[in-house]
Amino acid sequence: MNSGRLVSMAWQALGRYKLRSFFMMLGSLVGVTALTLVVSIGSGAKQKMADTVGKLFNASTIMITSGSGMILSGPRGDGARLTLDDIRALESELPAVEAWDPIQVIAPAQVRHRAADSSPRVLGVSERSEHVWARSVVRGEFFDVAAVARSDRVAVIGATVARELFAGEDPVGAELLIGQVPFRVIGLLEPFGTDLHGMDRDNEILVPISTMMRRLLNVDSIRGAKLLVRSPAQLSETARECKRILRERHGLAAGQPDDFTIMTTLEVQGMMAKSERIFSLFVPLAACLAVLAGGVVSAIVMLFSVRERTAEIGLRRALGARARDIASQFLLESAVITCVGGVLGILAGTALAVLLGTRLGLPEFLSFKAVAAGLAISSVTGLGFGVIPARRAAMLVPHEALRR
Amino acid sequence: MIQLQGIGKTYEGKGAPAVRALRGVSVHIERGEFVAIVGSSGSGKSTLMNVLGLLDKPSEGTYLLDGQNVLDLSLDVQARLRNRRIGFVFQSFRLLPRASALDNVELPLLYSDRAAIDGMALSALESVGLADRARHRPAQLSGGQQQRVAIARALVNRPDMLLADEPTGNLDTRSAREIIELFQQIHRDGRTIVLITHDQHIAQHCGRILRMEDGRIVSDRGVERPLDAAAELESSAGRTELQPATEAP
Ligand SMILES: Nc1ncnc2c1ncn2[C@@H]1O[C@H](COP(=O)(O)OP(=O)(O)O)[C@@H](O)[C@H]1O
Ligand SMILES: [Mg+2]
Repeated sequence: MNSGRLVSMAWQALGRYKLRSFFMMLGSLVGVTALTLVVSIGSGAKQKMADTVGKLFNASTIMITSGSGMILSGPRGDGARLTLDDIRALESELPAVEAWDPIQVIAPAQVRHRAADSSPRVLGVSERSEHVWARSVVRGEFFDVAAVARSDRVAVIGATVARELFAGEDPVGAELLIGQVPFRVIGLLEPFGTDLHGMDRDNEILVPISTMMRRLLNVDSIRGAKLLVRSPAQLSETARECKRILRERHGLAAGQPDDFTIMTTLEVQGMMAKSERIFSLFVPLAACLAVLAGGVVSAIVMLFSVRERTAEIGLRRALGARARDIASQFLLESAVITCVGGVLGILAGTALAVLLGTRLGLPEFLSFKAVAAGLAISSVTGLGFGVIPARRAAMLVPHEALRR
Repeated sequence: MIQLQGIGKTYEGKGAPAVRALRGVSVHIERGEFVAIVGSSGSGKSTLMNVLGLLDKPSEGTYLLDGQNVLDLSLDVQARLRNRRIGFVFQSFRLLPRASALDNVELPLLYSDRAAIDGMALSALESVGLADRARHRPAQLSGGQQQRVAIARALVNRPDMLLADEPTGNLDTRSAREIIELFQQIHRDGRTIVLITHDQHIAQHCGRILRMEDGRIVSDRGVERPLDAAAELESSAGRTELQPATEAP
């Protein structure tokens, strides 16, 4: 039997049973949509993660945080033991340390300018922040070593803060209040965008670390520090040394846990590789399960269809269809409809990915891999799950089928 | 052309007792004959037709078609034979409800190995006088028209024999006569026809009547002067016929 005719026959049959075809198609459509979406979003997120981490961690960075946990979260009592002297000691004992920048945080802070108010994060850093964090100003200037030494009330603000407090006005030279303390804005930070946790890194104000410790918080500890090591080869050794020195300075006995957290570029890369595996393996795997479930739904609908069309099958046999003609007819119907569902699923998944990706600010979210996988999987499930109903149809005895 | 010898068919019911639907049926049918098979319901007529049409394998006996033992052929070769040589007409028309008349007629062509099939379905529809209904769906046609579409389908592959199981059973008298007229015309074109009916009057239009009872052929007689359906239609034209065709006692 002519294969072009077979396909057009399958197409016609599907057109005659629109509702049923719709449900069969829905099976593959939902599955493939999910697959396309997660794979596309996944590769976008991976890219985004690599970008952001690249901005925070250079080839050889050591991040030290007091207590355990994240450097940018709010103040905590338990780990208030890390001091500027601790980090200075590391610098003087370890020649591999090229530069460092301390950090202290108020998040969120109450900030006002005339009637406008806002609650950004306020970070206390040194003048070396510009170099260590590789983030400078686009207007005005960064505070210098003298300003830090004098605990000047000067601030460098992010784009979001500028927009919320100064709405169009030039912020450089203007005044703002952090809590009750007046500061003069001297610079506008380079834009960063959102980070991995969805935090807007432009909703930030940088002030000298000394000013923050003395005038805003009245503490003698810092939240953490970022250290740049001269070469990646020295990274693990330097991190080990940092740990040893800090434990010694904090008087921790053997067996006592660290009261600080050290993270290096190496560990971050390891974590990234791990989450990359999740993105590129487990998430698509879950979506594949959705596709399989769709295939099962399609097969069940098709089985009902075979039962309902028993008389038709008997008739076709009488008119000269061989068992295998019947099998290929039903197989083809399954394949055609799941492929249509697959193509629609790819379109829907891609549309959703674009929508979601734009929302999350993900770069380059269209994935050729996702499209290929979606097509392959939908046709394979179409054929795979079409086999059962097709066999059932082919096995019907002609005269028995005709009695219906 | 058709030689049945000692054909028996027993349906082994699951749980139910076995049914002997055919018991030693032997019959010869020559090419070009128009044979009626009559008998009460359950006498085995349809079972015999299934055997003749290679839709069912008898439990015993032999079936020679043009001298060839067709019961030993593979199922695929039997399917090809059905497709090429046998046209089926059923009591309930058996058209695909959601397909047009033309698509229905085309169905056997899909399973044939003919290279050029263009126009064959339409000309078959033409031959039953329904070319202008090609795009209609079965539900948009009268019972008689639906059966004519089914006959066009049976003829489209130009088979040399036609098997019809109660083709007029669902039709009013006039439509039934039109169908019989069509059969007589097809017969005149040289085709062999086996027509199952329990209507004696219909049977009188054929050349030979086989009577079945309880799975056996109990009488086999020729009809000296078969009725002419075209003439009957002519004479009844203009009049409304209310009485059903006469039943045989
Ligand atoms: N597929 C089948 N399974 C079991 N019994 C059947 C089957 N087909 C027909 N029969 C039985 O065989 C007998 C003959 O049936 P059938 O050939 O259909 O008679 P008719 O067409 O003359 O009415 C009946 O008793 C019927 O119940
Ligand atoms: Mg019957």
